[in-house]
Amino acid sequence: MNTAKQNSRCSIPQTSTLNQTMVNVENLSLQMGDKHILQHVSFDLPAADITSLIGPSGAGKSSLLRCMNMLNTDWTGHIQVQHTDIRHWHGGADILRKHIGLIAQKPAVFPVSIADNVLFGLSRSQQKENTSALLQHCLQQSALWDEVKDRLDQPANTLSIGQQQRLCLARALALKPSVLLLDEPTASLDPRSKQLIELSLHELAQNIPILCVTHDLDQAQRLQGNILFMCDGKIIETADCDSLFNHPQKLETREFLRWSVCDCD
Amino acid sequence: MKYMLVLLAIPALLLPAACLIYIVYQALPALDVDLIFGSDAVVIGVNSVGQALWSQISGSLLMMSLACLLAMPMAASIALFHAFWASHKQKKLLTSILQVLQGIPPIVYGLCGLVVLVHLLHWGISLAAGAVILSIIILPLLASNTIHALERIPLEQTESALSLGLSKVSVITRVWMPQAWPSFLTGLLLSMARALSETAPILFTATVFSGITWPDSIFSPVTSLQTHIFYLAQEGSNEQAIHTAWASAVVLLTLVLIFSLTALYLRRYERIS
Amino acid sequence: MNKQRLLLPIVLLGCIAALLGGLSLFWFLTSNAWNFFQSFGISALWQTEWYPYEDLYGFLPAILGTLWALCIAMLVAIPCGLAAAIVSSELLPNTWQSIARLSMEILAGIPSVVYGLIGLWVLLPFLQEHLNLLTGHSLLAAGLILSLMILPTIMLMAQDALDSVSQEQREAALNLGLDWNQLLIRILLPQAWPGIRSGLLLALGRGLGETMAVMLVVGSLDRIPQPFYNILEPAQTLTSRIGREMGEAAFGSMHFAALITCGLVLAVFATIISLSAQRKGSIA
Repeated sequence: MNTAKQNSRCSIPQTSTLNQTMVNVENLSLQMGDKHILQHVSFDLPAADITSLIGPSGAGKSSLLRCMNMLNTDWTGHIQVQHTDIRHWHGGADILRKHIGLIAQKPAVFPVSIADNVLFGLSRSQQKENTSALLQHCLQQSALWDEVKDRLDQPANTLSIGQQQRLCLARALALKPSVLLLDEPTASLDPRSKQLIELSLHELAQNIPILCVTHDLDQAQRLQGNILFMCDGKIIETADCDSLFNHPQKLETREFLRWSVCDCD
Repeated sequence: MKYMLVLLAIPALLLPAACLIYIVYQALPALDVDLIFGSDAVVIGVNSVGQALWSQISGSLLMMSLACLLAMPMAASIALFHAFWASHKQKKLLTSILQVLQGIPPIVYGLCGLVVLVHLLHWGISLAAGAVILSIIILPLLASNTIHALERIPLEQTESALSLGLSKVSVITRVWMPQAWPSFLTGLLLSMARALSETAPILFTATVFSGITWPDSIFSPVTSLQTHIFYLAQEGSNEQAIHTAWASAVVLLTLVLIFSLTALYLRRYERIS
Repeated sequence: MNKQRLLLPIVLLGCIAALLGGLSLFWFLTSNAWNFFQSFGISALWQTEWYPYEDLYGFLPAILGTLWALCIAMLVAIPCGLAAAIVSSELLPNTWQSIARLSMEILAGIPSVVYGLIGLWVLLPFLQEHLNLLTGHSLLAAGLILSLMILPTIMLMAQDALDSVSQEQREAALNLGLDWNQLLIRILLPQAWPGIRSGLLLALGRGLGETMAVMLVVGSLDRIPQPFYNILEPAQTLTSRIGREMGEAAFGSMHFAALITCGLVLAVFATIISLSAQRKGSIA
């Protein structure tokens, strides 16, 4: 087991057997007006496994995800996915986003049927093929299949919020993304849906890297994997789950873990 | 696709400015202070086309104010009935009827007014007939605006006021009026703009071309800016008449825009606050 | 306490006044039209000759003229208006967006008689010169001036509808890798459709009832264009007929009753349009 290195260039300890990096963020900064949202953020995501991003609200966690998805384009620095700079992604930002699934905090289902929602991101020729296998596979991966298999053609907004969030997960999975970003995916959900989503994340993490923003420390512990602790737009500490929670190295981390407050200035 | 849309949109986005500039450009030769307040009528042919516009402006404004005065109490009553006494079904029916009435062409109202007011009631071509017709035309607009304004007030406020033992009258004066006056005013101003720009219904029921500076009674005909433009527009051979027509259009447009832009400003102000 | 007791009677009085106004209007329309139909039969609606001096009252030319004018207006205004709404709400930066909005609101506020003036002294000479027409008075001119008048309605309603599609929906679509065209066709337009649709119907109603501008440019010729798709000929619409002949027809004559029937036909069309706008609107 590696220990976290405490230099400015934080690299995540490799706990999985795969050793190549999938996503590489280097020196990422973002400024809005005269406010620094992100300052010199650098980290790597391995080719599989969960990485949890924790930190107080306003730390820039969601902005980080939006930068990695090119929803926010004003940043400076380098973000590489599969060793390709995402600014020069072949086919532009639209194609990039098909490789990077992002799931927002609040589920946004489209006003069409459940099945159409899952297949929404596919191109027309892909939709023409026999999609039922894909549909079932995605819905099973997001632990929704058993609840909706009899009513796939009903409008999606008849589902509960927790089901809608899982539907959003299935919708992102249908594109077979190579990275999955989640922005507090369970913040407004019932405990049952929360548990189901965490379970499916564990499953998925065996094949693709997952970056999950959460403000729920218990959830971060349950998800295992690596932890990035972020505050005021800077990455303070990175470590794997057990060492960060049990032996935090930095003062700010200790304060945050104990009091849920952070003062990094 | 983007480029195609932009190409289609360009004429639509540029037209308003082009229209306004063209109108003002055509009106320039006739636009001066004399146009409005001048007294020397330049008589050409039978019609005095160079006549100062003061009487037309006052006629238009007079008719508009009378129409609003008539329509306001009716609209208020309808809105209050909607708010206090109507059942859910009646509310739906009421808004539906108002919407249908709003969609009926103004000229149909004008036609009915001509039959009922001018001929059957023997009011003749008169200010009163025009005002009543205009008030009926703006009534659905005003009423539905007032209803919407009342509906935007949070229900909890009304209910908590009622549960404090306030009567309906004091709910209106102490809870609704202070909060919703910008919406009421917006509705009123929009209706005024509408009343000012309607031409067809008053053409044969209330107005004459010239010869009247101030109506003697409410049963005498008036002159109005809208119909003045219409008459002048058809004086094809006369250069000056056309310029006066454009100038009248500018005056009318200014009046209408004062009302409607104030209304828009109020609406925005309300949305922000 | 005195005030309390007065409120209800006052309100009822106002409502009854409004109701009486509406009812009497309806009654006069139908009773006059009834008289007319009793003398000429319902077939007058599709007869082609309108000569009041020989007691010939056929409605077909005017109805056809109205339909043609509306068709031309919608054909021009829908693509332009929708494109303008999409461009201004999706592509333009905020300042330009509010400028575009303001200018459309100004355009919507221009009184119809001013549009008539524009049509008569700008559009007609233009058509006359470029299409070699006798005077320029034509259905085409009426349609074009109508399209200018209904353009702001279409654009403003469509823009409101597009703006009300939530940011989350847009971002969710972007997250799935949809490009701008797909976003427009698969998210924005379907979700904004109820609003766009009611805007279109509102515009249709406005175009149907427009009188002054149409009256000044349509030429007022009571004849079906020859052949019937020839939009370059002068023609007549329902509103322009009422406007032209309202002043001439003697009160109580059959001619007057025929005009009132024209009004009734207009009112029926308008009611159908606004009812259909309401019915579908409530479902969506």
